[in-house]
Amino acid sequence: MSTETKGTAFFQHFDRHAHGKGLKGASTHYCPGCGHGLIHKYLADAITELGIQDRTIAISPVGCSVFLYYYFDVGNTQAAHGRAPAVGLGHKLANPESIVVSYQGDGDLASIGMAEIMHAAQLGIPISVIFVNNAIYGMTGGQMAPTTLPGMKSTTSPFGRGAMEGPPTKMAELIAQLEAPVYVERTALFDQRTRKATQKAIKKILQLQMEGRGFGFVEVLSECPTHLKMTPTDAEEWVKNEMTKYFPIGKLKDETRDPWFHLEKPTFDPERITKVLEASAEAPPRHCKTFPGHLDEVDVALKLAGAGGDGAQTAALLLAKSAIHEGFDATHIPSYGPESRGGTSYADVHIAKEEVLSPASPRPHVLIAFNAPSLAKFGPTVRENGIIVYDSSVVSDVPKELPKGVKVFGVPCAEIAISLGRPVVKNVVALGALQEATAILSEETLLHSIREALAGKCAMIPVNEEAFQWGVRSVREGFTHLPEAEVGK
Amino acid sequence: MRNDRGGVLGGSLREFPSPAGTPKEDHIMAKAKERPKPILLPQLCKGCGRCIEACPRGCIQMGTEIDQESGLVPVVVDRETCNACGLCITACPEPYGLNTIEYELEDPKHLFGEGVAKPVTPDQPSERIPLPKVQPMVLKGNYAAAIGAILAGCRHVFGYPITPSTEGAELMAKVLPQLDGVFLQAVSEVATVNHLYGCAGAGLPCMTFTSSPGFSLMLEGISYMIGAEVPAVFVNVMRGGPGLGNIGPEQADIKLGCRGLGHGNTHAIILAPTNPQEMLDLSMEAFRLAFEYRNPVFIFGDGYLGQMTGRVQLPETMIRPGIPGWAVYGDEAHRHNLINSIDLIEVDLEKRNEALNEKYARMQANEQRSSSFRADDAELLVIACNTPARMAKGAVERLRREGMPVGLFTPLTLWPFPIDALKPLLGHAKKVLVVEASAGQLEDELRLALSHADITGIEISHLRHMGGVLPQEGEIVDKVHEVLEVTA
Repeated sequence: MSTETKGTAFFQHFDRHAHGKGLKGASTHYCPGCGHGLIHKYLADAITELGIQDRTIAISPVGCSVFLYYYFDVGNTQAAHGRAPAVGLGHKLANPESIVVSYQGDGDLASIGMAEIMHAAQLGIPISVIFVNNAIYGMTGGQMAPTTLPGMKSTTSPFGRGAMEGPPTKMAELIAQLEAPVYVERTALFDQRTRKATQKAIKKILQLQMEGRGFGFVEVLSECPTHLKMTPTDAEEWVKNEMTKYFPIGKLKDETRDPWFHLEKPTFDPERITKVLEASAEAPPRHCKTFPGHLDEVDVALKLAGAGGDGAQTAALLLAKSAIHEGFDATHIPSYGPESRGGTSYADVHIAKEEVLSPASPRPHVLIAFNAPSLAKFGPTVRENGIIVYDSSVVSDVPKELPKGVKVFGVPCAEIAISLGRPVVKNVVALGALQEATAILSEETLLHSIREALAGKCAMIPVNEEAFQWGVRSVREGFTHLPEAEVGK
Repeated sequence: MRNDRGGVLGGSLREFPSPAGTPKEDHIMAKAKERPKPILLPQLCKGCGRCIEACPRGCIQMGTEIDQESGLVPVVVDRETCNACGLCITACPEPYGLNTIEYELEDPKHLFGEGVAKPVTPDQPSERIPLPKVQPMVLKGNYAAAIGAILAGCRHVFGYPITPSTEGAELMAKVLPQLDGVFLQAVSEVATVNHLYGCAGAGLPCMTFTSSPGFSLMLEGISYMIGAEVPAVFVNVMRGGPGLGNIGPEQADIKLGCRGLGHGNTHAIILAPTNPQEMLDLSMEAFRLAFEYRNPVFIFGDGYLGQMTGRVQLPETMIRPGIPGWAVYGDEAHRHNLINSIDLIEVDLEKRNEALNEKYARMQANEQRSSSFRADDAELLVIACNTPARMAKGAVERLRREGMPVGLFTPLTLWPFPIDALKPLLGHAKKVLVVEASAGQLEDELRLALSHADITGIEISHLRHMGGVLPQEGEIVDKVHEVLEVTA
């Protein structure tokens, strides 16, 4: 499959170049003296020397090196501007054996892609980032880069980069101060020593990735003779004399770290999947003989309302589950969001013989209200001959204007729960009361769902069962406050 | 001098003009030396002169003659003085500039020929395998969509928390590590979509959960995915907008999904489930469609649908995914592949657009989905999707009990709009009531579809809510009365 390469990770012929015939089939699209070509060569050499050509995925950025994929005979993906590290992480996690190289310029990495590079570096997942810093936007024609030097003129800083443009961004330093990266170096291309250092650094970060040791980052100070308006030799001198003042070259981080990155191959074992999803093959026991047609022929609407923390949603979910266990259809819609931190919390539940058509409960058959505002708000919406259960430990006034025939049950849910030493079980008290007041399902069905929900906290089952029975008793015996003799028992 | 392949270079290397002052035999002699001296094909030298500085012996000078092929002035190497130190090679920016590679001397085709034909890697096909029979589950819509994805073979999920979609990410964060999959919390929705682009580019099924403001942020990447023909599944649990809006249920991203998937000529299948069961079923289906068409697929639900809990039956089979031949997986078989959306040649990009549009036409022809309820003899059709479709179903049931000739038509794909199934119903239903939680975005899709299908004479009225309010059963009933009574 692989084409013969004779020691280079470059394509032998740059067919992907739109004009890739003749001369363009063997030379780059870069301007004479551009640093990109050198960095390409060092990367290609490192890939070849490390024997990773088949595994390598090069991410082409947006910028002059957008056409990286013309040249590298490796897997190639071209990314949106600044997003190469995010794309690279997608590749790396898809195939941990792949060697991912994110190759980016200064506009791409240090401007539009700042969030993506910082996050990739913060994660520390082994990918290799080559950051080409030439202090200017090349592809778009010489605009100011995040790394443009103070006072330096560009087409968008025509009077020189000044105070309003802020000082240049030092990416290698930023990356190096994060904990996760294992290797960070700034190198250059202006003389033999710095070129060797660049070669070595690129190979090093690839090797660290191969060994699963971590995220590697090499910033290469590079020449853009075209937009610096200099000869290649003068550009080298400029990088050496001016850029390095601002961007000192050298290693910023070189940690010894044990290989740590390893991912198993995903499993597709059906048994394991159903187990992890907690899907059960066992049918739950059924206790109801018929649908609660005395509440509605085909579809019973309930509303449970209270403050966040009252447990309205949990009780609603238990109801819906119980009904589904009994073979009915059921839905639960919570009011969701900030309520979980103490606002109001409403739940709409429907239990239908065949199918829940409309899952909202603007006019419920049954209302459970955990506080006075809920009772005041939703009491009048209950249907004629409907049923209301409210927490009589916190509600003293029942609205006078209720629809015709509505039956109201005050149950001291909170009092009972507190007396049991578990204030959170007041919703279970309410469920017991609901069952007794409406005969909606059966006690056993609801208790089964409660036990099922507490499967991971078995110690909590007895107190919940007790709470449920107290709710049943409260309705049966008609006490709206806990009888004094029972308090604290 | 033109070669027979239409290139501008000479037909054989031996005919190339030698650099001034260098006998061409020198190129050949390089082979005999142990440390080979550099070879330079003058037409591949851009004359930047970086090698001149690099050479410690001063063997290289700027040339004086313009190369006829490149139009540039190449350097001249004095190979007599050269001691083959190789420093000039390290300083040359061109891959095939100064180097010691010798094969091109033997076979110029390597450099100037047509190149190697692109190999075609076969697909490693997906497999459908049986799933043990289990009892119906009681699941929130977001969970149901997540489980659908797992059963479709998705083991890579990327996401950024946003209400009311977050439970999808939470379930994946819990479940995927137990299946040796990966959940990665991205730094933003912008990063999320690009993680998907990379992972899907590697050929694996992957997905995200988001909600309206997050979806807006993803549009850039979605355009790239469509352009590069990369599959992935997005669940967008729509909430109230514009701006930060609220977290209530809305359907006001229909316009984005159907008409605004980022820049360029983009389209994608937009699935619109109406209950938790369909959240699971359509999530599984979404992956199949994404890979069949090599295009992202979107599941649009409203906030209620993400949050609603209901009965969900798992399917009898699940998917073990393969790797498509086009993937950039990072192994030998897929090395020659490229994922990109850039094309600088206008006519080529036009062709690419035409191919994409042919694909969209195939989707329109084959992937329309809808359901209907008591619509066969209806004189008025309520059209609604997502949770409003359930409210409408309740309303239609009530109205039928009253003897009203009303039916429900529910698009399960918002794009392509299911006009083929709607058309025959409009033979008897000359009135349509569009019920939606947006300022008419579903109605616009309907009107466009009617217009493209040359269907006229339909009286369209609507019931709309916005800002996190859903149309309720009662008001749909009232509205139908109003429409039928006013026009009767």
